[in-house]
This record gives sequence, C-alpha cells and structure tokens, in this order.
Amino acid sequence: MGNVAKAVNLGRRRFLVATAATGGGLALGFSTLAAADVVDATAAPGAAPEFDAWLVISPDNVVTIRVPTPEIGNGAATQLAMTITEELHCDWTRVKLEFASATRDYVEDNVYSKPTGALAFFGGRSTVAGWNSTLLRVGASARERLKAAAAAQWHVPVAEVEASNSVVSHRATKRSLSYGQLAHKAVLIKLEQEPAIKSRSEWTFLGKATPSKLHLPKVVNGTAQYGIDLRLPGMLYAALMQSPVQDGKLKSVDFDKIKDWPGVHGIAVIEGGEPLQKLPLITQLPREMNGPRTSAIAVVADHYWQARTALAALPVEWEDGDGAKWKTTEQVFEAAQVLIEQPGGIVQKSLGNAAEVLAKQPKIVEAIYTSPYCDHVAMEPLNGTALVTADRVEIWHPTQAPKHAHRVAAEESGLAPEKVFVHPTLVGGGFGRRIGGDDVRMAVAVAKQFPGRPIHTIWSREETTRQGRYRPLLAVSMKAGLDASGMPQAFIAHEAGRAIDAGQYTDFGPLASTIGLSDASYTSGIIPNVQVESHTLPIHIRTGPYRGPGYNSNAFFLESFIDECAHAAAIDPLEYRLKLHASWPDPGWTLCLKEAAKQAGWGKKLRKGMAQGIAIGNFGMLGQPKTGTVVCVVATVEVSKKGVLRVDTLDAAFDCGRMMNRDAVRAQMEGGLTFGLNMSLNEMLTIKDGRIVEGNYDQYPMLRIGDMPKLRIHFGGLSDHDRYSETGEPPAGPVGPAIANAIFRITGKRIRSTPFRVHDLSWT
Amino acid sequence: MNKTLNINGKLQEVDADPATPLLWVLRDHLGMTGTKFGCGIAQCGACTVHINGAATRSCQVPLSAVSGTGVKITTIEGLSLDSSHPLQKVWVEANVPQCGYCQSGMLMAAAALLKDKPKPTDADIDAYVSNICRCGTYVRVRAAIHKAAAMMNGSHHG
Repeated sequence: MGNVAKAVNLGRRRFLVATAATGGGLALGFSTLAAADVVDATAAPGAAPEFDAWLVISPDNVVTIRVPTPEIGNGAATQLAMTITEELHCDWTRVKLEFASATRDYVEDNVYSKPTGALAFFGGRSTVAGWNSTLLRVGASARERLKAAAAAQWHVPVAEVEASNSVVSHRATKRSLSYGQLAHKAVLIKLEQEPAIKSRSEWTFLGKATPSKLHLPKVVNGTAQYGIDLRLPGMLYAALMQSPVQDGKLKSVDFDKIKDWPGVHGIAVIEGGEPLQKLPLITQLPREMNGPRTSAIAVVADHYWQARTALAALPVEWEDGDGAKWKTTEQVFEAAQVLIEQPGGIVQKSLGNAAEVLAKQPKIVEAIYTSPYCDHVAMEPLNGTALVTADRVEIWHPTQAPKHAHRVAAEESGLAPEKVFVHPTLVGGGFGRRIGGDDVRMAVAVAKQFPGRPIHTIWSREETTRQGRYRPLLAVSMKAGLDASGMPQAFIAHEAGRAIDAGQYTDFGPLASTIGLSDASYTSGIIPNVQVESHTLPIHIRTGPYRGPGYNSNAFFLESFIDECAHAAAIDPLEYRLKLHASWPDPGWTLCLKEAAKQAGWGKKLRKGMAQGIAIGNFGMLGQPKTGTVVCVVATVEVSKKGVLRVDTLDAAFDCGRMMNRDAVRAQMEGGLTFGLNMSLNEMLTIKDGRIVEGNYDQYPMLRIGDMPKLRIHFGGLSDHDRYSETGEPPAGPVGPAIANAIFRITGKRIRSTPFRVHDLSWT
Repeated sequence: MNKTLNINGKLQEVDADPATPLLWVLRDHLGMTGTKFGCGIAQCGACTVHINGAATRSCQVPLSAVSGTGVKITTIEGLSLDSSHPLQKVWVEANVPQCGYCQSGMLMAAAALLKDKPKPTDADIDAYVSNICRCGTYVRVRAAIHKAAAMMNGSHHG
C-alpha cells in the first residue's frame, strides 16, 4: 500500500482496479474492490505498466490491448488489436485482449470514445471512421517510448535502435531487451514529438496477415466466458418472466405456492415504468428499445434449474393491456396495408416530381411487398449478472454496447455513473439484440431487490424469443413508371411499420425503417424522380436493430421490384441492373454485378426446374456513392414441380473498398449470407392476442449444416476505394431477392413476402 | 442425497435433485460452463456431451440417468487435456467459430462423428452434425471436419 501515487487522480486509480477486474481478474472479486481501490496499479511492484488507457505491457512480455469494442463474433476486437500491432511491432502471439471499461471512459473524459464518438463501444464493427488513425498512433507512440527507454539505458542514439517482434535491439553492439523488460521505464518517457504513422504502403501486418480471432483458443476448450458462464461467490440465479403482452402489467402472483421449494430464496416483482433517473443515452441507440421497463417477475434460487422449475409452477396473472387488441398477425399486416394507402407519410426522399412524371410513362409497374417480425435468436439466451449495493453497481454482461449498458445500469440503479461498473464478457451472438440494454435494465432491476448478492438472471429461450426487440414488420407499396426503353423514370414507395426509433430518436430518425429503400442507389440519383414516404404503425410490439436494420427487408422489396421492372421491360435482369448503374458514380456496383455474374456463369444452360436470380444492395451508404459495402448475389436455385425449394449455390461479390484481414472479411460474408438465407427462407414470428407465439427453435426453424447451399465468395468486386467498410450486415440483404428472382424464373410466381417456406412454389 | 458422476475420467459428487438435467448439473453444480444452454429442448445442440461415447444433448438427460461410475461422460473440457484434439487445432487455425457460443456442441458432435466414421462423407457430416449456429459457420465447420479427419488418418497410417 506504500505505492499510492499522489500524482494520479483518484478517478483514474479507481479505474485501474475496475479494469483489472474485467480482464479475467475476477479474483479481485466484488468484496475486495474497496480495499484494492487505493492501490495504484501502475506503481505496484510486479504490476503491469500502463502506456495509456489502451495499452499495458507486463514484465513477462505480454501486450495487453484494451478494446472498447466487444467481441460478438465478427472479430472486431481482434481487428482493433491488429491495428495497434501494426505500429507497435509487437509479437502477435503474445497479444492479449481486454475489454475497456465504460466507467473509465466516463471518468476520464471519453478516453476511448473521443476518437470515434458514439460507436466506440459498439460491438458491431471494427471499421468506424477514426479508429485507424487513433489506434495506429497508440501503437506508434508506445513503440517509440520503448525504443527511447532502450536507447537511454544503452546510451546510444535512439535512431540506432530497432523495434521488432516485441524486442528492441541495438545491432552494432548486439544488445536487445524485450518490451516487457523495458515497459516500466518506457511508460515514464514523454516523447518530445509523437511519431508519424506509416502510410498504407508500409504496412506489413494489416491487409497482409489473416490471424484467427484471439478468443478462439478458449472457445475450443470450453473456457471462454460468455455472460451466462459467470460464476461469483455467493451468486444466486434468477429465472425471469416478463408480461407476455409487451407493455402489459402484473395482476397477481402467489409466491406462497413455491416459497418452500428447494433452493428458492425469493421472488422479485419488477414494476413496469420509467427508470429512477434518465441519463443522456448514447446517440443512435434508441431509448425506445430498452425503456420503459417492462413489468416482470423473477424467481431467485440457489440454482437456475430450481428457479426455472419454480417459476413454471408459480401462479401468475397478467393484465394484458391495450396490446391484446392485436388478435392475429393478419390484422397487423392489414393495418400496415391500410396505412400505405393513406396520404401524409413522413417524406424520406423526394427527388424531381415523381407523381407527375410517373403518370406520363407508357408502362407502370406496381406491387405490394411485406416482411414479418423476426427475432435475432442469438445462441446465448439473454442474461446478465448484477451486484447492487447502496453505493455501487457491478454488472457482468454480454452486451453489444458497454457504454450504453453503463448508462442504463446507472439509470436503473439511480446511482451516479462513476459508481457503476460494467464488465463486458464475450457475447454469444449479437445481431443487434444486445444493444438497447433492456436486458441490462432487467438484470439490475432484479438484483436491486437482493442488495449485496450477485444475481445472475437468465431469460429462457422462450422468454428470449417472446421478449425480443424485433425486426419490424413492414409493408410497402411500390410504383415505377418505365419509359419507352423500359427504364424507370419515376419511383414512388409508401412503407409502413414501426421504425426502430418510433420517432423518438433523431439520429437514426424515422429513416431506420426505410434504410435500403430511400437511400439506395436507385433512389439516390439513378431514377430521376423519386418519392419515398413512411408511416408509423401504432403497435405495442417493441422493435430494434437486426442485422442490417431496415435494409434486411428493403433490399428484398427493392431488388425484387427492380426484377419486376426488368421483366416488364423484357430486359435481362443483369443487363438491366448494369444499365441502371452505368453512370452511377461508384464503380463498385458494376464491378460486383459483373464479378458475381461471371463467377456464377450467368446465362449458362441449366436443367429444367433450375434457374439463377440476381440481386445487389449496399448497407451503410445512406444515399452516398463510394460509401458502405456493396454486395451482389447470384443464386442458383432449383424448385421441384411439387414446390420443393433447393438453393444450390450463392455466388457473392462485394465491395467494401479495402480489407484489413481478408479471412475475417470472408468469414463475415459467409455469416451474413447464411443469416440472409435463414431470414428469407425460414423466419417469421406470429402474433396471437398481442403476444408472440413462437418461443423456441422448434417453432422458429433454423438452417442446419445439411441445408446449406454452396457459398462462393469472390473478391473481384473490390474497387480498392480508400475505405474499410463493414462486411457483417451488407450480405444479409441481397440473398432473399436473388433467390426469389430465381424462383420467378422457374415457376412464374413472384414471391412478394418472406419467409419463402410458407409459399406454394409448385409449378407445371 | 449425493450422486456420483464419472466426468472426463474423474469421479465427482453432486448434491442435486435427480430430475435436474445433466446440462445444469455440469454448469451450475460443478461449474463446468463449457457445455452451453441454448434451447432446453434438444433442438440446438449447444449442450452436446458424450455419454459412453455417443453425442447426447445434455439438456434432456436427467441426473438420475447418468449417475454411477459406469456411465462415462465427456464434456468439451475433457475432449483433450491440452486442446490437442485435431478438431480443436483445426478449429482455431481455420478461424471456424465466430461468436463461439455453439462451438462446444459442434466440436463434441464432430468428435463423435470422427470416432464412428474416420473418413466422413458430406452426408455423414449432415447426419451427425445437426447443431444450430446463428453466426453462420457451417461452411467452415464442414471443411474443418474434413481437414481434421485427414490429419487423423494421416497420423494413423503414416
């Protein structure tokens, strides 16, 4: 305790401890944190010296990189570490990842999130603008401090020493020291001038190496720790049930029935409503997704199985409330279809004069498309572990957005944010579900009722599925006016559904539901006259981002509709799209169309009952060329006369500009295509009396390994434009329409809704 | 009353209701969290373990059915002592898992397959590996199984 560094402010010291607890240092435990609080980790003998908030190098030469981005499976955390490594010149095999603390970010003036803003702690991507220059500087600065420390020790000019593979060496005198040996001195060095970062042509690691994700060695032996794997001394388990009709209320519960059951400690009754305090949440992450708190009960027991069994036997009644008026799914679709016929939608895009020009065209194509509610069904059921005391909240959570989770936990506990500590765990699948923080809110709300004891709350699979923040149900009417050559001169679309923001958030804005429709290439300059309007469906069912928000439905609508236009114009679907994009100022689209078509053998002779369909989309462009990632898919499909659909091959070409890790990009393409395939073929939630019917995988079918088509990922669509756009969400869009367009060519049936499994595809 | 379980070659005592599924005995009573909870209805396969060598969904197996020294249970923690099973090696090298949550179950299903069929066909893989992966790792899982099989056959015969 003699190592209290007076120069370091209290807030910072507090932080080091919290961070250590995150990085697998659970040995510190919740009960010893108060005592450990006063130790300055940087000065303690044997403690690992900290270069800055991002970087620690321990005496055993392990480089620990703290990343704000969680690991949800897309490799974003590994990618940030790779970027630092490029400049640090450290040994990649001795790099360790730690999740950065959102509390430190709060206490230390946004130390992690300043460079990139709101998305710094977002577990969605590693490609947020601002990351590269920041992380490369972090690495370069530490490297130069290590070199300076060695040069000082050896009394040689710093220009004579080299840093490579976690070793600094002086060639002339054949001396060398590891980073671990130098770190204690290096952290004390302040450079007179920060080094310049390398240009891309000088990179030796980024864009060249293709390392596997850093968490995999622990995955394959079962030691990887997800939220649901958290075990703390004295921890109790809670089985949760929220009002089956979202926004309903608890009417009665008879705890006496189960209070003597083995292991049962008690019950938490959570009232629906607003949190104790409202804090500014992170922009772009809708409050509507997580608040107000839902009405819920939780049975708390020694073991989860005891809690779950007791919950199932607990007599409980709910007051369904207004939501119960939605008796069937059809009723919701009908309401949406009424809305799209109404005037006065929110104008999402208006170019030229669509109504006037459309009326003058010789050919009009029109159609109505729909898509259902879908759930993320991530493999790790929702869960969270919280320990609430009078002056401190700790939460261990598989969150996709730790900074947001930090604020939500503070809101729900009523404590100041500096007293709230979020320890991110690995995330067993995100896909947008673990952003909004309703799971964080509920974990804290339950634990609050058992102060001083860590409570691990688990949603059953059924609870997870029925209490989703769903992909919104959407209906859209589209109209195009084709000129004498068959090309669209005007396009009008009206879409209805509940936007993920429900109008409450300005950053995503009401655009959320029309991403992929109002900001696509066709509606951002290719078709000269465009009108896209949206309507909000007033329904209680909560929605949220789901891999490629808006776009995952709209790419299906728009690319199927463009296919209808091509058919009406009697032009080949590939040629039609090439013509449309001929003067679009982003060559990636044409490159991807040509690459996917070439690789798939577009136009080749196939046996009867087989055909190809094509579709292209971009997620992230928001109306701009050379932005986001373009993906073009050619689906080779077979439909038997009886209507059995078999997807044989998906050929995909993409343009994200440039790549940092080719294999990681390929993995995201594979994953995104598979997700898009399942979404299009299988996924649909239905509604009965205001509640979601489907609870588990037996009712919400998923593709298995034997159902997979051949996935062929092609790299010839890359434009080498100077950007590194994300690759996880974009592939989900064009899969469905490419298949639907192929189905049309086989059967003559135009499929205007998903999932395809419910359609009669038989033909003669 | 305590029950004895034979897990990964080690005898363990457990005090739990005999109806408790093996999944929760492993996870909550024994702290062996490598075996995952995904659905609880034998759909997803995240909880796959080997019982006397056969891949089994542990969420459907009550403690009473596997008690006793004669029932050999193998979990992901016991697939090898040091992550040296060819499947584990290939899984990391080929960057197979994404989030990784379903992969303990995938690996246990694949290991049972390779024990039964050292040179599996694609149809064998389809039959043995019915686990759900939401991230979409299926194409890599298939390729990795073939690769591990080739490694194992190579070491046996040469």
